[in-house]
Amino acid sequence: PPEKPTIIKCRSPEKETFTCWWKPASDGGLSTSHTLLYSKEGEEKVYECPDYKTAGPNSCYFDKKHTSFWTIYNITVRATNEMGSNVSDPHYVDVTYIVQPDPPVNITLELKKSVKRKPYLVLTWSPPPLADVRSGWLTLEYELRLKPEEGEEWETIFVGQQTQCKMFSLNPGKRYIVQIHCKPDHHGLWSEWSPEMYIEIPTDFRVKDMVVWIIVGVLSSLICLIMSWIMILKGYRMMAFILPPVPGPKIKGIDTHLLETGKSEELLSALGCHGFPPTSDCEELLIEYLEVEDSEDQQLMPNHDTPSKNTKIILKETDSDSGRGSCDSPSLLPVKCRESRGLPSALQTQDVRAKEKKGGKGSWEAQCTASEQKTLPCNSESTKSCTWLAAQLPSNQPAMFAYHSTVEAFKMTLNTTNVSTPPVWVGNEENCQSLYPIAETVYDDVEKISEMENSKTDQTTVQVRQNQHNDKSPFLNPKLMDYVEVHKVRQDEEPTLLLKHKENSGKTKKCTVPGTNKEYTKVSTVVDHHILVLLPDQRTQNTPVSQEHVAETSQNPHQSQAEKNTSYSTTTPSDSRRDASGSDYMDPSSFTPSFK
Amino acid sequence: MSTKGASLKGLLLVVLLVSHMFLTKEGVTSLPICHNGYINCQLSLEELFDRAVKVSHHMHFLSSEMFHEFEDRYAQGRGFIAKAVNSCHTASLTTPEDKEQAQQIHHEDLLNLILGVLRSWNDPLIHLASEVHRIKEAPETILWKAVEIEEQNKRLLEGMEKIVGRVHSGEVRNDIHTPWDGLPSLQLADEDSRLFAFYNLLHCLRRDSHKIDNYLKVLKCRLIYNNNC
Repeated sequence: PPEKPTIIKCRSPEKETFTCWWKPASDGGLSTSHTLLYSKEGEEKVYECPDYKTAGPNSCYFDKKHTSFWTIYNITVRATNEMGSNVSDPHYVDVTYIVQPDPPVNITLELKKSVKRKPYLVLTWSPPPLADVRSGWLTLEYELRLKPEEGEEWETIFVGQQTQCKMFSLNPGKRYIVQIHCKPDHHGLWSEWSPEMYIEIPTDFRVKDMVVWIIVGVLSSLICLIMSWIMILKGYRMMAFILPPVPGPKIKGIDTHLLETGKSEELLSALGCHGFPPTSDCEELLIEYLEVEDSEDQQLMPNHDTPSKNTKIILKETDSDSGRGSCDSPSLLPVKCRESRGLPSALQTQDVRAKEKKGGKGSWEAQCTASEQKTLPCNSESTKSCTWLAAQLPSNQPAMFAYHSTVEAFKMTLNTTNVSTPPVWVGNEENCQSLYPIAETVYDDVEKISEMENSKTDQTTVQVRQNQHNDKSPFLNPKLMDYVEVHKVRQDEEPTLLLKHKENSGKTKKCTVPGTNKEYTKVSTVVDHHILVLLPDQRTQNTPVSQEHVAETSQNPHQSQAEKNTSYSTTTPSDSRRDASGSDYMDPSSFTPSFK
Repeated sequence: MSTKGASLKGLLLVVLLVSHMFLTKEGVTSLPICHNGYINCQLSLEELFDRAVKVSHHMHFLSSEMFHEFEDRYAQGRGFIAKAVNSCHTASLTTPEDKEQAQQIHHEDLLNLILGVLRSWNDPLIHLASEVHRIKEAPETILWKAVEIEEQNKRLLEGMEKIVGRVHSGEVRNDIHTPWDGLPSLQLADEDSRLFAFYNLLHCLRRDSHKIDNYLKVLKCRLIYNNNC
């Protein structure tokens, strides 16, 4: 006899019919037939399966007529073969609780954009076709799950009885898989998952973001380039702003070229100076000391090693506007090698200070003999201007010139009568050093300048001390001369005198700037960035002031800075320049706020 | 002009204060606020049905849970299901047994049937709540569910009577009712018999609550949504 068959399961797909499947009994090779018998609750009658075929082998399909709800079915299967028959265990089933619908269908995706331009996905579906949801006989609940395409775990979302779902949290550009299944609302089983649905969120927004970032990056890099370019181009100006150049004094009447050629005679004649270069009897002037006699505050120049004190050379400056062409220039340090930068910044006189020799740099005193000049270009009057050519300081040294000059000498030389020799500038002849007589007066007291009076013509020898490095001592004209003292006054720097000197020329430039008068020391213009043009006061004289080219060591930045300070320059001997500068002049006092 | 404006403002303020004072007084009441679902400050039929379906759904959910808990705990291997055949006291009520019957029955009849079933369960549920503690080591969940179901049944009964009052054109039939006499069986001394009695009661409760829920949903879709749920 066959073994007992077993009933596997009974299912209803739409709560209107149901099907039972059994597992046939293993037979010993004999053909076995199965019959399904059932009885309903409350009835004694036993029925046989109405349909063995529709649902396939080993199944029994109960159609609508044979399906009752809220009724317990007692189902058994009997297997019969030649040997006998066997009945399975009864299977009690209430169809209400065995409903398992089909998966949902018509799954659609729609991409919508919310108010904030953010996209969200709207997923819609339909209940399985067999389920009668419209009449309310069967109520379904839905559940969906999704995961990224490469992801591992599903995220399950219970949706309830609605047939749509809005998904907001999807990442653009990623692909997702979504599936839906359903179940009757109270009892029953979940359906199979719907076929996989692929979602791909468009990435247009991200592209826009990328474009924005690219534009931002390009613009910022352009701005950086422009900024750096500006920095490079304007670097010089920045440097000039920070470290202003010291313009060299320019003395009218001094021709650059003349100086270059070294024909001092011509030059001096142009300047109206006589007796220059000093003759041998001026060797005494080649002393490293600059002795200046001065009644007040006159300090002898110490040796060149420690030019701590600067004698003050007072250019007579009775002018009210205090053309600070007086010789009270700060001590000027001798400069060995002309550095381009040294000169302009050297001329700074705010409070004329003793300029100490900077380490290693010898300060040299320019012996400046102020001698009154009495030539046309030279002002025979009192004013003497110390012109000195700025010697450039070595690079490492601030462009300061230590000049030791004798104020008194200048005073003396203010007298134009006997001024014969122009002041001598001593410059450091060493290599590139151009000499400049550095007559510098260092004042603590600005009023010294005013003390420059017309002095007598006695000669005062301003000895410019040379630094030890100087081989050649500049010639010092013992005679007093009027000369324009050109210096710069700067607030916080020692005044220095900037004298123009020729490149690589070791010549001593000696030039006396004949001071015309007190107004002589007005700075007219600055020509060519390195030539300070001094003009005599219109009222006094029209004699062109001796010109002196101011050696320009520093470049434009310094020069511009020099303009701010009291810088005196003489007009160049060139006529044009002279003409140009003859008309007006600048009051140096405007440059020297420190001066009283 | 500024003083005039200031005086006007002050007058307005006074008026506002006085009106507020009047409005907040007891004697003065505003119109009752009608919430959603109210039509002329009366619940609509749609809202009544929605509420009824919610209650019936919850009631069946509770009874189903309670049955499963009881079955898992006390009925394993006892073969109760075989015995619980045709043992519900409401079996005498002829209720639709499939979809066709449910769709063919008149809605008024169906409503009356629902009311009848609900009334029939009024009594048993009261006793179930009071007698369930007799079950040995009855878990707390069964206990409070029994109480909850009894409350739900009352609420649903009220709602259904309202619906019937709206829908019925004629007078409300009050005769559909099945008495319950299973109380002694719940108090049997034999534990096994007592457990079967509870099992049977919970089984019948689950079934009838499901019937009510199903019928109400069918009625709702038919009457409110015109078979287009």
